[in-house]
Amino acid sequence: MGRYLLKRLLISIPLLVLVSFCTFCLMQFSPLDPAEVVLQAQGVPQITPELVAQTKAELGMDKPFIVRYLDWLLSCLQLDFGHSYVTGKSVWSLLGPAFVNTLKLTLVSVAAILVLSVALGVICALQAGKRTDQAVRAVSFLLASLPPYLLAAILVWYFAVKLDWLPTSGMDSYKSYLLPVAVTTIGYAGIYFRMVRSAVLGNLHEEYVRYSRACGLPERKIMLHVIRNSLQVTTAVFCMAIPVILGGTVVVENVFAWPGLGTLSVKAIMSRDFPLIQAYVLVLAVAFILFNTVSDVLQAALNPKLREEL
Amino acid sequence: MKKAQAGWLWGAIVSLLVLAGCGNENAAPSEPEKQARELVMAVSKDIKDMNPHLYTGSMFAQGMLYESLVENTEEGIKPLLAESWEISGDGKVYTFHLRKNVTFHDGAPFNADAVKKNIEAVQHNAAKHSWIKLSTKIASCNVVDEHTVELVLTEPYYPTLVELSMTRPYVFVSPKNFIEGETKDGLNGYSGTGPYRLVEHKAEQSAVFEANEQYWGGAPAIKKITAKVLPAGETTYLALQKGEVNFAFTDDRGANNLDVEAMNQLEQSGKYQIVRSQPMNTNFLAANSSKKESPVHDRAVREALWYAMDRELISKQIFAGTEPPADTLFSSNVNYANVELKQREYAPEKAKQLLEEAGWLAEQAGGVRKKNGAVLAMKLYYDVNSSAQKMEAEWMQDQLKGIGIQLDLIGEESSSIASRRSSGDYDLLFNQTWGLAYDPQSTIAAFTSKSSYYYTTSGIAQADELYKKINDVMVSTEEQARKSLYRDILNIVHEEAVFIPLTNGSVTIVAPKDLQGISFKQTQYELPFERMSFATK
Repeated sequence: MGRYLLKRLLISIPLLVLVSFCTFCLMQFSPLDPAEVVLQAQGVPQITPELVAQTKAELGMDKPFIVRYLDWLLSCLQLDFGHSYVTGKSVWSLLGPAFVNTLKLTLVSVAAILVLSVALGVICALQAGKRTDQAVRAVSFLLASLPPYLLAAILVWYFAVKLDWLPTSGMDSYKSYLLPVAVTTIGYAGIYFRMVRSAVLGNLHEEYVRYSRACGLPERKIMLHVIRNSLQVTTAVFCMAIPVILGGTVVVENVFAWPGLGTLSVKAIMSRDFPLIQAYVLVLAVAFILFNTVSDVLQAALNPKLREEL
Repeated sequence: MKKAQAGWLWGAIVSLLVLAGCGNENAAPSEPEKQARELVMAVSKDIKDMNPHLYTGSMFAQGMLYESLVENTEEGIKPLLAESWEISGDGKVYTFHLRKNVTFHDGAPFNADAVKKNIEAVQHNAAKHSWIKLSTKIASCNVVDEHTVELVLTEPYYPTLVELSMTRPYVFVSPKNFIEGETKDGLNGYSGTGPYRLVEHKAEQSAVFEANEQYWGGAPAIKKITAKVLPAGETTYLALQKGEVNFAFTDDRGANNLDVEAMNQLEQSGKYQIVRSQPMNTNFLAANSSKKESPVHDRAVREALWYAMDRELISKQIFAGTEPPADTLFSSNVNYANVELKQREYAPEKAKQLLEEAGWLAEQAGGVRKKNGAVLAMKLYYDVNSSAQKMEAEWMQDQLKGIGIQLDLIGEESSSIASRRSSGDYDLLFNQTWGLAYDPQSTIAAFTSKSSYYYTTSGIAQADELYKKINDVMVSTEEQARKSLYRDILNIVHEEAVFIPLTNGSVTIVAPKDLQGISFKQTQYELPFERMSFATK
């Protein structure tokens, strides 16, 4: 297991380098002059060619592409991710708080998604084809297919304005979490519970279930086995849900004025804030690699067959 | 057991549906009375860096913290931090007598030395201030005595006082906030002399301003103003309905995301009032006259575009009448812009006739016109984040199709559009004049600038004459000469139809019904909060 983890981590290093290099290249393809875009993002009313040249030199953009990349890589190794082109603040001072805010939202949402998906998935599998199953699937289909911003607006209008139970937006108390978490959860749980459902259904038709029933094992015990076996399949999906949501909260953050990664990254991309974009991509790449590894370890823990392979 | 589960589930579903079914009228939203003496303002963006010698920060907030030597008002330039001033006979030396007993928020005195340090700090970063032509004309700033300061120019420059009155960069920060004697790399605090102090700033969340009790003009009545970041318009609207925020102001670009319909609904709710300013600026289409391979190079085509646009209808249908149709680049309340210009009212037949005369002919009725094999097709770039621009563009596309002009619509980020403007890679694009305090001089100065309207203006026959006149007007010292030069400049660009006016933008405020003293400055970017107060019951 230890060797496996070590191997995993070692592979991830060239992967991160590759990811960062690709981002660097993509930014390079942009038809706009990066110095000009940065000046625009700084709000400079009139951008003269001299100012563009001066800014390029200040930000080191006049150096060849590969030199800039290596410079960046070198300072990264010293854990220095540079300063934002637009605000001049250190990248960590911008990315850090935003990351924590989005992580909070993500973890609470994933917990809710997990509980809801497993509960609904198991219930629907047991009731497969019956009214309950059909109703849950129909409602979840409807809710999951609503665009998040619309769903968010409806929920804010009803729970914050009409009933006055919750704040419309912001991040002031635990109450602020309910609506954004609800919107995120509804979107993802509507998809994930189907996976749980089909995994449980698949397991219910396995021979070990018939055998257990034949042996007269109590239904409750059989169910425990079925659920455990079904979760194996879905563990990977749930683990990957964390980085997926981490990188996919733009709409929710925008509607609920949540000062997180989504808003920050979109703004950084619009203003060609290179150092910030690079750090954001790295953070997400690390999150994907990390949770992918976690999912492998969890699967191994659940399935002895896999353990031998590691 | 299975039955019990199913029952529970059904209960949950039914209650969800009941909740979603709603229509419950008696749960009234909370009143904004809780924050009676405070304003909580919705802003679409964080206030960012409050350094007024750079350009990232929100202007409304900088306007609350900092002040300039003089103020631009409807009646002209008035004293602010300078009580009076003299201009030397040759127009090159401005002597300002400063207001006494003014202190910065951090207690440091505002005096001639502070003025000198601030102006020099701005000049040390002159490349970033090239839009304000004064920055290229300041030779030195000298302390005469504690309360007298002298500004020496390299040549006479008539808009000096106007440019000194702007929100940035010539406003004053406590020298204690400078870093290594400069402001260009940031500040360690944001102490100005203005009516409000910044007391808290949570990045991307909120900023809190408190009344400056020592303000030389008297402490403001509203003691606390919070700016809350709400990026989405729907949320802003709902938060206003609920009373979580109770104030918003939106400029012509819908800066704070409230559309006309949302504002009207808020007004109808009885809790809010809507106050609109006079026209502040003009929204227009810039036509790239220098692009020789495009039909837009042809003056007849530009004129036809102008005649073919039903601005009345655009104003009515898209802006619900809040933005009046504009007939000229500058509305007549702009300085020097009250000149007689040829009216080009909506006349599609006239547009067709102009095109026919210029040789743009349609092969079949309803088809796109052609001339020497070139198709009468142009690309119009609009800001994807502006729903109004998108609607206007679609409207125009439809209107122009009727007279045989093909308009291709391309939505882009505002930064891409700005970049197109400075590289000349466009046929038509949406733009706006700078606003009352800046017009006409700043917009007109931008005619000659590569990063602004050089490509718009350089393709016309009289381009050289135009640029010469622009240069002359800025250094002219005689009012009469200035008037006549401005008249000529406005005439040239009007005749050539390179700026096709659409509507006049203004500032709209949504405020609690009992808020009094709402007024405007000569700019769409700021508001005089210090004049506002709540009615006492």
